[in-house]
Amino acid sequence: MSRNRYDMDEILEDKFDMDQLKRLARYLHPYRKQMVLVLALMLSSSALVMLIPKLFQLEMDVYIPAGDMKSIFLLCGLAIGIVLYSVVCLRIKISYTTRIGQSIIHQLRRDLFAHLQELPFSYYDDRPHGKIQVRVVNYVNNLSDLLSNGILNTITDLCNLVFILLFMFSMNTRLTLICLCGLPVLVLYIVLLKRRQRYAWQVQSNKQSNLNAYIAESINGIRVTQAFVREKKNVAIFNSLSMSYRKAWLRACYYNFLMSPMVDLISTITISFIYVIGVSYILDGNLSDVSVGVLISFTVYIGRFWAPINTIAGFYNSVLTAVSYLERIFETIDEPVKVKDAPDAIEMPEIKGDVRFEKVSFGYEEGIPILKEIDFHVTPGQSIAIVGPTGAGKTTIVNLLSRFYDVDEGKVLIDGIDISRVTLHSLRSQMGVMMQDSFIFSGTIMDNIRYGNKEATEEEVIRAARTVRAHDFIMQMEEGYYTQVNERGSRLSAGQRQLISFARALLNDPAVLILDEATSSIDTETEVLLQQGLNRLLQGRTSFIIAHRLSTIKNADRILYVADGDILEEGSHEELLEKKGHYYELYMSQYEF
Amino acid sequence: MTPMKWFYGFLREYKWRMTAGMALVTVLVAAALTNPYISGLIVDEVVKKKDLAMLPLLIGLLIGTVVVKGICRFFSQVLFETSSQGVLYQMRDTVYRKLLQEDFAFYNKNRTGDLMSRQTGDMDAVRHFVAYVIYIVYENVLYFILAIVMIFIINQKLAVSMILILPVTAWVTYNQSRRVKPVFLNCRQAFSSLNTFVQENISGNRVVKAFAKENYEMEKFQAENDNYRDAELNAAAVWKKYVPIFEFLSNLLTILLMLVGGKLTIDGEMTLGQLVMANGYLWMLNMPLRMAGWWINDIQRFTASIEKIYGTYCAEPDIKRPENPVKRKRLEGDVAFRHVSYRAEDEDILQDINFHAKKGERIGIIGTTGAGKSTLIHLLCRFFDATEGDVLVDGINVKDLDMYELRENIGIAMQDVFLFSDTIEGNIAYGRPDCSFEEVKEAAKMADANLFIKNLPEGYDTIVGERGVGLSGGQKQRISLARALVKKPSILILDDTTSAVDMETESYIQRQLDNIGHSCTTFIIAYRISSIKNADQILVMDKGQIIERGTHQELLEKDGYYATVYYHQYPMAVRKGGETDE
Repeated sequence: MSRNRYDMDEILEDKFDMDQLKRLARYLHPYRKQMVLVLALMLSSSALVMLIPKLFQLEMDVYIPAGDMKSIFLLCGLAIGIVLYSVVCLRIKISYTTRIGQSIIHQLRRDLFAHLQELPFSYYDDRPHGKIQVRVVNYVNNLSDLLSNGILNTITDLCNLVFILLFMFSMNTRLTLICLCGLPVLVLYIVLLKRRQRYAWQVQSNKQSNLNAYIAESINGIRVTQAFVREKKNVAIFNSLSMSYRKAWLRACYYNFLMSPMVDLISTITISFIYVIGVSYILDGNLSDVSVGVLISFTVYIGRFWAPINTIAGFYNSVLTAVSYLERIFETIDEPVKVKDAPDAIEMPEIKGDVRFEKVSFGYEEGIPILKEIDFHVTPGQSIAIVGPTGAGKTTIVNLLSRFYDVDEGKVLIDGIDISRVTLHSLRSQMGVMMQDSFIFSGTIMDNIRYGNKEATEEEVIRAARTVRAHDFIMQMEEGYYTQVNERGSRLSAGQRQLISFARALLNDPAVLILDEATSSIDTETEVLLQQGLNRLLQGRTSFIIAHRLSTIKNADRILYVADGDILEEGSHEELLEKKGHYYELYMSQYEF
Repeated sequence: MTPMKWFYGFLREYKWRMTAGMALVTVLVAAALTNPYISGLIVDEVVKKKDLAMLPLLIGLLIGTVVVKGICRFFSQVLFETSSQGVLYQMRDTVYRKLLQEDFAFYNKNRTGDLMSRQTGDMDAVRHFVAYVIYIVYENVLYFILAIVMIFIINQKLAVSMILILPVTAWVTYNQSRRVKPVFLNCRQAFSSLNTFVQENISGNRVVKAFAKENYEMEKFQAENDNYRDAELNAAAVWKKYVPIFEFLSNLLTILLMLVGGKLTIDGEMTLGQLVMANGYLWMLNMPLRMAGWWINDIQRFTASIEKIYGTYCAEPDIKRPENPVKRKRLEGDVAFRHVSYRAEDEDILQDINFHAKKGERIGIIGTTGAGKSTLIHLLCRFFDATEGDVLVDGINVKDLDMYELRENIGIAMQDVFLFSDTIEGNIAYGRPDCSFEEVKEAAKMADANLFIKNLPEGYDTIVGERGVGLSGGQKQRISLARALVKKPSILILDDTTSAVDMETESYIQRQLDNIGHSCTTFIIAYRISSIKNADQILVMDKGQIIERGTHQELLEKDGYYATVYYHQYPMAVRKGGETDE
C-alpha cells in the first residue's frame, strides 16, 4: 500500500458490517447484569409514571364530580410517591449508564492503544500521525453515549412498543393491523436511504481524519512553515480541507434530518387511515367491534405507538454515524502485526554479544531490495563501524538486528539463536539503540534518560549523563535534571538532545549497543571526551556504530563498508587503508582541499 | 473581550440565517399545536356525529400540518446546522491563522496534543451548541411560554400556581450551571492531556519500540485513560444530582394540575372541560423541564470549550510584525550583528555577538554543543528577537523589516529536519509551491538528491512519511537542503545540514554551492571542519560567545579551539609548532 497523506481519503468499506456491532456488543457483555438491572428500574419507573394519567383520569371521572377533596389529596400523595421513585430510578440510571459508557470506551481505547504499541514502524510510516490519533481519542469518544444511554433507551422504547402493541391488539385486532401497515413503508424508506446515508457518514469521518492530520502536521512543522513563509498557502489548504469536512458533515446530517419528518408523516397517514376506516366501520354498523369510544382511545394509542419509533429511528441514525467511526477503530485493531512473537517464542537468554547475519536480504517495499544476501559475523565484545554512502542500507542493518523489521530471506542470529524465535521484549530490552532522530518525551530530563530503565537510581542516571558528557550542560539548566523539556525538545539544541538520548541508551546497560549517527550533532571536543568514556563502557560489549565522522569510526575493531545493499569491504581501519579501496577513498576525501 | 463576545462575533455572521431558523421553529411549534386541535375536531365533528362531510377536509388539514411541520423541522435543522458549520469554519480558520503566527516561544510552551484538542474536541462542543442546543432550547422555551399563556387564559389561579415553580427552577439552573462548569473544564483538561499523551506516543513510536517500553507506555496510557474516565464520572457525579431534580419538577406540574385544578374545579372556578384542556397543554410544560438539566450540561460543556479555544487564540506572539515595515522585496544579504545578546528563561544564550557578513560571503560557524549557534541564526530569521543589540540585514534592523519579506529572502535547512507527509516534489517546493518541476529538480541536483530520488519507485512523486520516515538521515538532510535552495534565497543557512551525509557527498554539495549562480550570503553551521574550512569567515562559538574568528588558515595559526578540533578530526595533518594533542 502506498503511503497516505493528509489530502487522501482512506479506503472505504462498502458493506454494512453487522459483525462490527456484534464485536461492539462484546464490550457490553461484562455489564449485562448492570444493564438488566437498570432496564428493570427504568421499565418499572416508566410503567408507574404511566399510571399518573390514569390517576388523573380517576380524579376527573370520580372524585371531582363527587367533590371529594380528601381523595384527591390522597391521589396526589400517591403520585408524588411515584414521582419520587422515578427520580431515584433516574439517578441510579445516570450513575450506571455513565459508568458503563465510560468503562466501555475506556476498554475500547485501551485495546486500540495496546494494539498500536504492537504495530510495526511501517504502520506509523505509512500514514499521517494525526489520522492514527483521531481514532484513539476522538472517534472512541463519539461512542460513549450511544453505548450506554442509546442502547438502554432503545430497549425501553422497544418494551414500550411491545406493551402498547399488545394493548392495541387487545382493543381491536383489525385496526392494529392497519396501523402496522405503516411500518413496512418506513422500513422501505430506511433501506432506500441507508446506502447513501452510510456512505455520507463514511465520507464525513474521512474528511474529519484528513483535517486532523493536517492540523497535527501544521503544528509539528510550524518552524518550517514559518521559515518558508508558507502561511498563506497553508491557510488555503487548511480551509479547503475544512470546507470538505463541512460539506461532508452537512451532507451526512441532511440524511439524518430526513428521518424524523418521515416518521411523523407515516404516523399521521396511518392515523388518518384509521379515522377513515374506523368511521366507515361505525357508519356501516355491521362491524360492532369498532365503537366510537374504541376509535377515540385507539387513535391516542397510535400516537404513543409512533413516538418510540421516532426515537428508535434516531438511535438508528446514531448507529450509522457510530459505525463510520467504529469501522475505523476495528480496522486499526485488526491491522496485522507483522513483526511479532512466534507462538513458541522463547525468552532471549542473557546476550553475550555474538552477532551473525546469514545471507540476509531485505526490502521495505516489494521489488526494491535494500540489502542483498548480507553475511557477517561479530564476536562478543567487538565494536563494528558501518560506513558507506547515504541510503546504502546502514540503518537497515541495525534495524534488522533489533528486529524492527523481519528479514525477507536469511537469518539474523544472536549468540547462535535466530532472533525471530525469541520474544521481542526479551530481545530489545537487552539492546541499547540510539536512533538518528532523537525523540525527547515531554517531562523532565531525568524522566527522559530513565526511559529505558525506570528502576535506575538518580546516581545511575547521572553516571550515564557524565559518560556521554551531558552532565555539565544539564547542571547549567535552571532545575538541572528536573528541568522540563518537551516533545520536540525545543529548549535543547540538537546536540544536547542527542546526548540525552545517548545517555538513555546507555542506562539500559545493554549487551549490544547500536549508535546510529549518535554524535553527528555533537562538537568534536565533547565527542573526544565522550569517546574516552565510551571506550571504557564498550569493553566487553558488542557495539555497532554508524557515523560519517571518521574520527568516530577509526577506533572500531572492524569496519564494514556498505554500498548498494552489500558489504563491499571489511576490516580494521589500517587494513582497509592498505587495501586502497572504497574506504581509503572515503578517508582521503576529507583531506582534499 | 470575553470568550462569549468573541464567540458572538462569529455567530453574528449567521444571525439572519438563525433568525430564519427560529421563524421556522415558531411555525413548527404552531403546527404542532394545531395538530391535536384538528384531531379533536375529527373526533367531535366526524366520529361522534357520525358525519363524514368534514372528514376529507380535516384529514387534509391534518396531513397538511404534518407536512408543514416536517418541512419546518428539516429546514430549521438545516439552517442551524449550516450556521453552526459556518461558525466552525470561520473559527477554525481564525484559530489556525493565529497558530501560524505564534512564535517559537509559544510552541515551546504548548504541547501539540493540547493545541489539537482545541481544534477538534473543543470545536465539536461549539458545533453541538450552535447546531442543536440553541434551537432546541428556543423551541422548548416557546412551548413552555405558550402553554403557560394558554393555561392562563383557561384559569389564572391555576397558571399562577404553576408559575410558582419557576423560581425553584431558576435556582436549580443557577446552581447546576455554577457547579458543573469547573468539572467540565476538568474533563476538557483530561481530554487534552490524554490527547497529548497519545500524540507523543505515536510520534515517539520508534523510541518506544527500541527500548521495548510498550508495557511502560501502556501503564502511562492507562493512567491518562483512567484520569479521563474519572473526570467524566466526577462530572456525572455532580450533574446527576440536578438532572433528576428537573425530572421531579416536571412531574410536579402534573401533580399541581391534579391538586389545584381539582380544587378549582370542585370549587366551581373552572369546568371539567377546562381541566381536560389544561391537561392537554401539560406535555408542553413537562418536556422542557425534564430536558433542562441535560441542556444546562450541554451549555456548560460549550462554555468550558469556548474558554479553552479563546485562551489559545488570545496568546499573543512576542514577535510582532512592525506597523510600518521597510519594504524590501529582494534583500542583498548583507548581515551584521551589533552587540547582540539573547536571554531566555534567565539563561544567557548569546552574549554580545558582533560580526559582519558581506553580501555573497560564506560564514562558517563551529563551536561546542549548545553554544548558541542555532539561536544566532534564529535571531536572523526573527524566530526570536534579540534581548539587546541589533540584527541588521542590508543595514536595516530585522525588527523593522516586513517579517514575511525577510523570511522570503532566507533559505534555511534546519538541524531538525521536518518533512511533511507529501510527495518529495511537494516537500522541495514547500517554500515556492508554484515553482516548476525543472526548478525542483535543479535544486535537488545541487543538493545531490536527484539521483536517489530518481531511484525511488515513484521518483519525485514518492510520498514520504511525516518527519520523513522511510528516508535515511542523510537523504532527509539533502531534501531539506534542496527545499532551502529552491527559494533562491539571498541568505542561505545550513544548520548542521550535512552531518549525516558522507564526505564525498558533502564536498560535491559544497562545489555546487560555489556555483550557485546568484549572489547568496551563506551561513554554515557544522561540527565537521570539512564543512566550513572554505568559508570567508569562521566564527568559533562557546557558551554564547564568539571566542575565535578568522579564516581557516588564520584560525589554525591561532592554535586555539579551532585548531584543536582540526587536529582531532585530521590526526594525519601535521600540527605547526610540533605539539601533539592526544
